Amino acid sequence: MTPQILDAFQVIADPSRRQILTLLSKDSLTINSLAENFDMSRPAVSKHIKILYGAGFISIQDIGRERYCMLKQDGFNELQDWINYFDKFWITKLKKLEVILNNKSKQK
Amino acid sequence: MQKEIKHIFFFPHPAEIVWDYLTKPELLAQWLMENDIQPIIGHKFQFRSKPALTIEFDGICYCEILEAVPFKQLSYSWKCSPTDNGYKIDTVVMWTLTAKDNGTELNLLQTGFKEIENDLFYMAMNNGWAKNIEKLLQNLNSNSK
Repeated sequence: MTPQILDAFQVIADPSRRQILTLLSKDSLTINSLAENFDMSRPAVSKHIKILYGAGFISIQDIGRERYCMLKQDGFNELQDWINYFDKFWITKLKKLEVILNNKSKQK
Repeated sequence: MQKEIKHIFFFPHPAEIVWDYLTKPELLAQWLMENDIQPIIGHKFQFRSKPALTIEFDGICYCEILEAVPFKQLSYSWKCSPTDNGYKIDTVVMWTLTAKDNGTELNLLQTGFKEIENDLFYMAMNNGWAKNIEKLLQNLNSNSK
C-alpha cells in the first residue's frame, strides 16, 4: 500500500500528526517510543509517520537497530511560501494604491 | 518565522477617500483585484486575480465582511484554496484607518494562518537553535571541568 500524498495543510490538519511533530520537536524518537504516546495501534502510528515522511516534515534514520524519526524543514516550507506570497502581494498592491491616490491629487 | 502579515502605509488623503478605495468595488479593483465587495457585515464576496502557479493558488479569495466601521475599520475573512474539509488558507484581513494631520495611516493586518500559528511551528523553527545552544553549553561545561 502506498501512503496517501497530501499537501502540507492536510498533513498537519490531523491532531495525531501534529502531536507527533510536537513530540519530535523536543527530541528525535524511535517509531516505538513515538507509538507509546498514542492509544492507537503501532501500524496506525506508522501510517501517520509515512504521511509525515512523504510530505517532508520528518526524516527517518537508522541508528543501530532502531529507526529514528526527526523533524525536517521541507514540509514547513509550503506553509511559509503562502505567507511570503501574500506578504509580497500586499506590498505590491498597496504601492499601486499609493500611485493611484497620488495621481488623483495631482489632477485636482 | 513569520506568522502574520502587517503593513503600514500613509496616504496624504482624508480617511473618507481611503475608505472609498477599500470598499467601493470599482475603486478597489483599480489597485487590488476584481471583486463584489459591499461594506455590510455578513456580506459574502470574492476577489479574483491571476492564479499563482508556484503555490497552486487559483487566484480566488472567498471573503465575508466581519466588521465595517466607516472611515475607521474594515475586516473580512480571507479564504483561499478550498479543500475537502475547509480551506488551505483561512485568514482574516483587517484594515485600520487612522486620521493624521496631513492624511491617513492605513494598517493592514492579516492573521490566522491557523495551523502555522500553533507552538509547533515555532518549535520546529527554533529546534535547530535550541540543539546548537545545548551542544555549546555541553562543550563549555566539559571544558571547564
